[in-house]
Amino acid sequence: MTAVGFVIAAYGVILGGICLYVAYLLRRLGIARDASRRVGGDLDEAP
Amino acid sequence: MNDLRRGLAVAIAIARKDAISELRGRQAAGSTIFFAALVLLLFGFALGPDSQRLAVAAPGLLWLAIVFGGLLTMARLHQLEADDGAFEQLALYPVDRRAIYAGKALAGAAAMLVLGGLLLPVVAILYGIPLGAAWLPLLVAVALGAIGFAAVGTAYAGLTVRMRAREVMLPLLMLPIVAPLLLAAVKATVASLSGDPLGELGSWLQLLVAFDVIMLVVGAGTYGFLLED
Amino acid sequence: MKTRVLGFVALIAVIGASVNGLFVVPADLNQGDAQRIMYVHVASAWIAYASFGVTALAGLGYLIWRDLRLDALALAGAEVGVIFTAFAIWGGMMWGRPVWGVYWQWEDPRLTTTALLLALYIGYLLLRRLTDDPARRAARAAVVGLIAAVDIPIVHFSVIWWRGLHQGPTFGDPAKVLNPSAPLQFVLALLAMLAAFTLVWVYLLIRRYQLARIEWRLEEAARRGRIAAARGSALGAASVEEPAR
Repeated sequence: MTAVGFVIAAYGVILGGICLYVAYLLRRLGIARDASRRVGGDLDEAP
Repeated sequence: MNDLRRGLAVAIAIARKDAISELRGRQAAGSTIFFAALVLLLFGFALGPDSQRLAVAAPGLLWLAIVFGGLLTMARLHQLEADDGAFEQLALYPVDRRAIYAGKALAGAAAMLVLGGLLLPVVAILYGIPLGAAWLPLLVAVALGAIGFAAVGTAYAGLTVRMRAREVMLPLLMLPIVAPLLLAAVKATVASLSGDPLGELGSWLQLLVAFDVIMLVVGAGTYGFLLED
Repeated sequence: MKTRVLGFVALIAVIGASVNGLFVVPADLNQGDAQRIMYVHVASAWIAYASFGVTALAGLGYLIWRDLRLDALALAGAEVGVIFTAFAIWGGMMWGRPVWGVYWQWEDPRLTTTALLLALYIGYLLLRRLTDDPARRAARAAVVGLIAAVDIPIVHFSVIWWRGLHQGPTFGDPAKVLNPSAPLQFVLALLAMLAAFTLVWVYLLIRRYQLARIEWRLEEAARRGRIAAARGSALGAASVEEPAR
């Protein structure tokens, strides 16, 4: 693999990983907020 | 000044209680030492039979055996309190938490010093390392390593001994923390055995002392929070 | 709402910095295109260590003030930190193979320290997962976070000494880009990536913190529900006895 391949692998995994983690967090937040609504609690206060 | 004296008395009392239960439950302590020796034996099978390769690897293998034995030792020293619910009782006493920590760490260090000291001749025999004049710096290295390991081990054992998956949690938490201790202790051992040609023994012992002091301070400072829960 | 704006700004910043690092900035004379990896590698490492600092300090804050919000912040720092630590190691390996010829180098203090950082973080997260009571979890995590944080500088120095006293060839320094003699464009590219990653980091911390708070409240509700149910069934049993008399 030439150096370019390694560069692509590095950026791909890191940037892609960030995107995946953001998507994962937002999904979990959505689920948690729905569950919180059902329980009747208040949603997130100001941090 | 009175507080210091009282704290010291508590620490010594706790250390003495642990020492007595170690000596009484002789099988447990002895089994751990035997286990560590067994580890050294098995390393011989894993890395041998080339005696030269084993001689080069010996310091590292010695300290790995001390670490593995040490994990069992620290867990054992806290198991008794955990089983009897004594931790909760200890937390009720109006005693300085740091004194309790000091007592347990002292007991741990002493147990590990014995462990390490007994493994030295085993290593000497199995891997053909003449100890000779190096026995003094070696013992110092073992003592400093024992103190450092016990400093962290006391805090972490107190933490994990009542947990789920406690058998794996103590090693899992301890091993990354003691990596620099392991590194420095092995280097000090190598330097001691070779007569310290590069004059680096002092630096490595200093690193061990720094590790010990830092971990003792942090351990003493945080131990109280672990008892309270 | 403000967080969402931050998220979009961070996204644009990362895209911009990446395009810059990949296409605009020229390749290094010695390391070639592999040098470009440094921008994401160093930025990731920087964020990882900063995150770890947040975890340690938030944990200390919890021990002092017993505010579970600080514990939520510590958790956010740890989870985000694990991820960026993994990125940093991955970047280091991807850089190492073309430049050093090997994926791993024991004498590089940054790589080995970061690997240990990963192990420490993972241990921290596992510890949290195995403790159910929130106060106990927060206290234990805080202690572990502190001890780990204190250990990291010791590790770093010990590995540097480890290498220094070993008579071997000097290997290429991955952070050459931080060298004062490095071309200005490289330094700026790194700073741009660092800034972009910092925006992403703050965004992720906020989201993870919010998630932690909501999940804690759900935990609490479930716990109160279980207590109420237990009490209710006890009352129910008592009231059934009455009419039978």
